[in-house]
Amino acid sequence: MAESVMGFFPYVNDLRKAASKLKAMNYGEITVFSPVPINHEIDEVIGEGHNYLKYFTFFGGVLGLMLGTLFALGTAALYVLPRGGRAIFPVTPTLIVSYEATILCGVFATLIGFLLLTRLPSFRKKTYDVKVNVDRFGLLVHAGGARIETVEELLKEFGADEVKRVEE
Amino acid sequence: MREDITYKEVNDDVVRTMTQTGKGYYALMVLMALGVFLCWGVPWAYQIYVGQGVTGLNHPDFWGIYLANFVFWIGISHSGTLLSAILFITKTPWRRSIYRSAEAMTFFSVLTAAIFVFVHMGRPWNFYWTMPYPTQREIWTSFQSPLMFDVLAISTYMTSSMIFLYFGSIPDLAAVRDRVTGWRKDFYGALALGWRGTDSEWRWLMRAYTFFAVLIIPLAVSVHSIVSWDFALSKVPALNKTIFAPYFVVGAIYSGTAGIVILMAILRKAIKMEKYITSRHFDKLGMLLLACSLLWTYINVLEVYTGIYANTSYEIESLIYRMITTPYSYLYWFMILTNSVLPLLYIFKRWRVSIWVTVAVSVGITMGMWIERYLIVATSLPRKFLPYMWHDYAPSLVEILMTIGSFMFFILLFLLFIKLWPSVSIYEVKEDLGIPGGKEH
Amino acid sequence: MAGLVERLKGRLESYRVPGYYRQFEHHWAMVIDLDKCNGCGACVVACRAENNLPVVGEKECDMSRAMNWLRIERYVEGEYPNVKVKFIPVMCQHCDKAPCETGCPVFATYHNQDGLNVQVYNRCVGTYTCAVYCPYDVRRFNWFSNKTDKPLDQQLNPDVSVREMGIMEKCTFCIQRIRVAKDTAKDEKRGVKDGEVTPACVQSCPANAMAFGDLNDRGSAVAKLARSKRQYRLLGDLNTAPSVIYLKRVMESAVAHEKHEEGFGGVGFR
Repeated sequence: MAESVMGFFPYVNDLRKAASKLKAMNYGEITVFSPVPINHEIDEVIGEGHNYLKYFTFFGGVLGLMLGTLFALGTAALYVLPRGGRAIFPVTPTLIVSYEATILCGVFATLIGFLLLTRLPSFRKKTYDVKVNVDRFGLLVHAGGARIETVEELLKEFGADEVKRVEE
Repeated sequence: MREDITYKEVNDDVVRTMTQTGKGYYALMVLMALGVFLCWGVPWAYQIYVGQGVTGLNHPDFWGIYLANFVFWIGISHSGTLLSAILFITKTPWRRSIYRSAEAMTFFSVLTAAIFVFVHMGRPWNFYWTMPYPTQREIWTSFQSPLMFDVLAISTYMTSSMIFLYFGSIPDLAAVRDRVTGWRKDFYGALALGWRGTDSEWRWLMRAYTFFAVLIIPLAVSVHSIVSWDFALSKVPALNKTIFAPYFVVGAIYSGTAGIVILMAILRKAIKMEKYITSRHFDKLGMLLLACSLLWTYINVLEVYTGIYANTSYEIESLIYRMITTPYSYLYWFMILTNSVLPLLYIFKRWRVSIWVTVAVSVGITMGMWIERYLIVATSLPRKFLPYMWHDYAPSLVEILMTIGSFMFFILLFLLFIKLWPSVSIYEVKEDLGIPGGKEH
Repeated sequence: MAGLVERLKGRLESYRVPGYYRQFEHHWAMVIDLDKCNGCGACVVACRAENNLPVVGEKECDMSRAMNWLRIERYVEGEYPNVKVKFIPVMCQHCDKAPCETGCPVFATYHNQDGLNVQVYNRCVGTYTCAVYCPYDVRRFNWFSNKTDKPLDQQLNPDVSVREMGIMEKCTFCIQRIRVAKDTAKDEKRGVKDGEVTPACVQSCPANAMAFGDLNDRGSAVAKLARSKRQYRLLGDLNTAPSVIYLKRVMESAVAHEKHEEGFGGVGFR
């Protein structure tokens, strides 16, 4: 049961400075909470990470392409019924059906990828404060032990208007 | 950073729209529900029981007002995709307060359109034969048919826009979850999936949102092209044109944007969002409408000009039937007035920022686009190749009631949406206000 | 697994493109001589009797919902007393490249191995796409469930079904008669003879204006008539390749027509 500290900042530049200081001092894992996406503000400090989502979308799209082609051509092969003097394996309908199936599977794969990567829906109780979804930017430091006071001082020094300890 | 509205105010305003309900809302809901029952439920049940003969359809006019409504509602649905996806990719700031309602409009109008597919079928109790599901029936659906493209495209579009709408609202649902009590807390808690707003969650959300937007734009274009190919893949002289796919897509964006303007004007008064939906939005939407109007006029002129120049007798007959024969000539020239002439008012900024003028012209555009869909169906089939089979089409009472009922159904769904879902995107509006202490961009 | 692939390959080869319809066992076609047709309408009545076509009533016919699979189109030219009236019987043309077949999402209409455009009543969901796509407007829809009152129901043909509401139907070249002829021929271990199959309209025409047979059989009556100089297909430039061949009306009277047709040496209509 490590104790962690959460500081609430009204301004993002204060949070950024605090976060870079904490990262430099290597005081533990940092999580930033915000009511708006601020990734372009803090990514230089926190780090971006590799975009794994694009693999989900790509393979979902490829799967959809194969499914769609299988649908169109497979149905034509199973039910060899001539219609309109057209070819049994028609080009245009296959293209259109594969296109729709590609996008459908791409969308589903992206959704599944998002849910897996963010670990949502979460069933465990995690640290949260309703203020971070209104107008405060939160900084959670997973420090433990004796460093707690140092971190608290640091956060207050950089402009957090509320600091509290949380059980993790 | 705008100083007049604070972040807390945004949360308060949006949550208030969902928790406070006036008597007028309930009255309107009851009215719409009654209207849906009387104008949709009863005529449809009557039609299923007695047969398709209660419509005004005949030989050769096998498609009538139901298909016109179907195309119209799919057209309206493109508004949300345009606003949320295309304008997201181009990073347009003024889309932020209105795109959530536009996305909802997309989803609900696709639902309404899908119902019309079942309404126009001869044996609707067998509708599942058109769905490609694993069956032991020893025969499957035919993917060569344009209607099967339709089934796939519309179901893809419906699921994609529903996912897009839900998924972009997760942070807002979390904001609502924090403020409400009782059954609402459980409901929104479940929907918000435990969103906390950490940096990694936001990062994945924005990345996934970008991918969704990039996927859904070509999907929207393809959906309306496929709907147009129901008509264009026939041999009917007035329908067998290659311009149909771009024509329908342009028309869809046009009518959808007009629908958004009307909806925004009603919404800002109804749920008191005047702070967030300002005349600046109507200004920009007016410019968009002007561009679409010019494009639409261009395509119409092309159709008429090439038809007359090529002088194929079949096509000339359809053109004469549409433009000169009464009563369709009244509809046609009224449509030209509302769709090509009146939107020219949008050239002047003074009339773009005036909400009354914008809404009035948009109402005209919506009516004009509905007339255009109706004319495509009702003036092409009566003039096919063999003159012995030429016969006029007039909609019957059942069909007219169902048309009115569809509008009521859409309004009913939208009323439910306003109360049960955050209709203005909280986090995007906050981004628009500026980030306190953030880098100025 | 290997057997499945072999079977699929065999079936696919039997439908090789293009022109796979020329390899079918039969290619049923009809020839209508417009010089002989006088618009009497006996064919229309015979078709109604043979195929259990319902009477829809005056109000429905006013709305152009008459249930006639075969119609006599009448075109009038000129003013009295120089009026010319032209008749052309139009039924489903059984196009080899039928636009209607491609539109059906549930496989309710397709081209069978005899070269006929068939309609499967049980499968039809009623999307009307086939009817919209047909350039000849030959498809008819059952707008209501039409009941036949007693005792007229005793007149119904037991070989043909009675369709319920919501189903599209059209001329089938009396497929029930084709079926009987093919079954008889199979029992007697021979091919179908020319003239053995006559649809109801062909059978009832008093002017012998219609002929029906197998185009694949070079010696049959329809094959010979189809080589006439007067032959044309209705709306032929639409590239639908119909199986109904019309012989153009060129003469004012039947006597002059006989003289014109000398080159064929009196081709028999039966």
